[in-house]
Amino acid sequence: MRVFRSKWLVLFALVVLAATLAACAAPAPQVVEKIVTQVVKEEVPVIQTQVVEVQKEVEKIVEVVVTPTPAPSMAQDTFVFGAQGEPVCLDAPVITDGITGRVTNQIFEGLVKFDGATTNVVPSLAKSWTTSDDGLVWTFTLQEGVKFHDGTDFNADAVVANFDYWQNTENPLHKAQVESGKAFEYFEAQFGGFDDASIIKSVEAVDPTTVKITLNAPQGPFLNNLAMFVFVFSSPTALEANGLESCTKPVGTGPYKFVEWLPNEQVTLVANESYWDTANMAKTPNVVIRNIPNNSSRLLALSAGEIQGMEGMEPRDVAALKDDADFNVILRPANTTGYVAFNYEVEEFTDPKVREAFAVAINKSAIVDAFYGGTGMVANQFQPPALWGYNPNIVDRTFDTDAAKKLLADAGYPDGISEVTFKGNKVPLEFWYMPVSRPYYPNPKDIATAIAADWAKAGINVSLQTVDWATYLDRRRLGELPLYMLGWTGDNGDPDNFLCYFFCLPEDNTPAAREGFFADVAVSDVLKEAAMLTDQAERTTLYQEAEQMLFDSTGRIFVANNQPPLAFTANVEGYVANPTSTEFFNTVVVN
Amino acid sequence: MMRYLIKRVLTVIPVLLGVSILVFGFVRMIPGDPALVMLGERATDENVQRIREQLGLNEPIYKQYMIFLGNALKGDLGTSILRNESVTGELARRFPATVELTLAAMLIALVIGIPAGILSAVRRGSVFDMGSMLVSLTGVSMPIFWLGLMLIFFFSVKLHIFPTGGRMPAGMRVEPITNFVLIDTLLHGNLPAFGQALRHLALPAIALGTIPMAIIARMTRSAMLESLGNDYTRTAHAKGLKERTVVTRHVLRNAWLPIITVIGLQVGRLLSGAILTETVFAWPGIGRWLVEAIYARDYPIVQGVTLFIAILFVMVNLLVDVLYAVVDPRIRFE
Repeated sequence: MRVFRSKWLVLFALVVLAATLAACAAPAPQVVEKIVTQVVKEEVPVIQTQVVEVQKEVEKIVEVVVTPTPAPSMAQDTFVFGAQGEPVCLDAPVITDGITGRVTNQIFEGLVKFDGATTNVVPSLAKSWTTSDDGLVWTFTLQEGVKFHDGTDFNADAVVANFDYWQNTENPLHKAQVESGKAFEYFEAQFGGFDDASIIKSVEAVDPTTVKITLNAPQGPFLNNLAMFVFVFSSPTALEANGLESCTKPVGTGPYKFVEWLPNEQVTLVANESYWDTANMAKTPNVVIRNIPNNSSRLLALSAGEIQGMEGMEPRDVAALKDDADFNVILRPANTTGYVAFNYEVEEFTDPKVREAFAVAINKSAIVDAFYGGTGMVANQFQPPALWGYNPNIVDRTFDTDAAKKLLADAGYPDGISEVTFKGNKVPLEFWYMPVSRPYYPNPKDIATAIAADWAKAGINVSLQTVDWATYLDRRRLGELPLYMLGWTGDNGDPDNFLCYFFCLPEDNTPAAREGFFADVAVSDVLKEAAMLTDQAERTTLYQEAEQMLFDSTGRIFVANNQPPLAFTANVEGYVANPTSTEFFNTVVVN
Repeated sequence: MMRYLIKRVLTVIPVLLGVSILVFGFVRMIPGDPALVMLGERATDENVQRIREQLGLNEPIYKQYMIFLGNALKGDLGTSILRNESVTGELARRFPATVELTLAAMLIALVIGIPAGILSAVRRGSVFDMGSMLVSLTGVSMPIFWLGLMLIFFFSVKLHIFPTGGRMPAGMRVEPITNFVLIDTLLHGNLPAFGQALRHLALPAIALGTIPMAIIARMTRSAMLESLGNDYTRTAHAKGLKERTVVTRHVLRNAWLPIITVIGLQVGRLLSGAILTETVFAWPGIGRWLVEAIYARDYPIVQGVTLFIAILFVMVNLLVDVLYAVVDPRIRFE
């Protein structure tokens, strides 16, 4: 009897479990068909290659057919991209992050854009432009017959209205955005501020297809700035009607129209049937951008075929995916540099020999090989090679522990350095690494550990430190970190955006706490001069000169560039990765 | 009973006030501020100052607190710093996702955990007992993150039985009514969508239910064992009652109290958000939301959600206390 009872209990548990599982089955028959067709298609090229490969594919067919409930795979008319996080606000001028940019890039367009995989500027909503000789007046001729998704016309007045929204602090919507805690950060950063403080003096509609922008001073990176993902046009009618809700109701001119945004889940877009650029209509009718925060889960979703593209991979996964025929890995051209920064309030670091010793003691190529999954490159200067201001003549110092020891001895530290004088106090030397993965340092902790180990061999003993990201940035801003890791991802493909942000000093040449009190007036002057010029050849010379100066004085140690990897299922074609991450889905085909 | 309930509810007020003050203060004591996180590597002093000003972070803390409290009493928990969304509105949207997940996980935990615990106790030392306790020990010590990824790997990537994450397939859309997807799909009479919602719920519920299941099984077993050794059990046996009657009417009845306590704690814990499970399965609940808000120093979300969780815990505790009286007639509140 006792046995009988317990059997009933087990049976009950099993029945409930089975019922739960059974309730979960609801396969859509069309889906099965589609998956099979897809595999058969793939079979053709496979047979042409090798027997081993064919076996692999045959196994796959069996697996799919036997499957009791096939994954609800999307039809081929939808491209699902797995994002690392949640968009902030779909009103481009108030954002700064790439996760939001990935969505807005599909909906909005600006006057100009970056071409394919380069940072070259090409026409977008402006079909051509001219510049006055003094570089102050830019006249843009607009495309004709362009309509916003709400059916209103895109014309010179719309351009003027958008610039007013970005620049004029009295503009009602600008004001409302600022009061709600938003900032027009990129406008401020790229165009020198708002209202009269801005480098943009006026934006006028000459006629419906001609816009004249007058500057207060020539600006070298002006066109590159305009090509950035945030300077794109919203329908003025929609902006006025939606106010702050523009964040969730984006209306642009782009190849995709906004459908809906389910917070923390996904954003859905649909092809714009009346897109003006008929040669570049969206090739896939629907786009879904899903938020899958965990890197491993996102990769598994790609493996399961639930998403067809993704960003944000652990370096170890990149290596594995590269060799797998079911996936395509695309490397985004490097636009990012990780560095080790000295705080010049550490007395020892004011000696260039000490800084050089720190630099030669690091085995950069070993670090790049070990921690970047094959996507990294050794850096010897701040700009990545893809930028036109890059100095190809700089030859990096070779990694040499003995040379480092000798340099330290020459500088008066024959026993190495373990303690430093920081802000007047003798303290153990701390080396700070970021608590979060960034494109330029995918595994900050591992990289920091490797650097510290290299240094230890040269007699430099550091204690590794970190703290949560917000605090890290705060302490760095206040100049409290004696020696730290950080990096930069370029915004607009212009060398100014890499160099001047860090190394241009304010007018009175006081060093900034934020940059560890770096104060090289000569470098700063060269960079400021370059920013005022519009001739690219002249600017190139100056940026190369600045890089050489930074290298010679070891102002900072530039460790690595990274080419952030994107992964796609093998049936995805046409994705073009751009160094600035302004990437457009209209060319994507899911076979 | 009514008087007791009223008294209990009244004592909740100072608890919640205390919680709100603590949370409000602690959030602001953590170094690093929201303006800086928003700006990242690009933060300049001027930007940070300007944003702090806009967000009202330069006001004295007590003033900020009074504003928060005044609004909270009206049901308005403020507006998030990063996304301008209403915290109350977002809670209404996200909490149902957490509740669905919690209930599904608890269902699995109870349906398997309690019978397993009872059986183990009744057949102490048997192969079943040792097996189930070994499994539950594994369950308790399993890193949920790893378990989640393994479940996805086998059931989604290899077997294609369940999806890897989310609440619904990417292309499927059900107009929200209650924000409980399972209920909404039924209200719409959309059975395929209901099936999809269940399929999406399965893996996260199993991952999340594993630890409570193990804990409940172990607690049930030990409570039962204690009860089995008591005089009344011996007496019941001596009276010649059937084994089944002894176990259900005497042993189990007396073992319920600690089991209910554990269940209550587990429910409270799960309701406050299963951060890891929600992250691995891209589940849009409140746990992940809270953690992201803490990293972003999004004060309104952190304080609003924490306060809400505190209220939940208090409610669950209250419910557990009431249940005590139901299962144990000796407990009276007068």
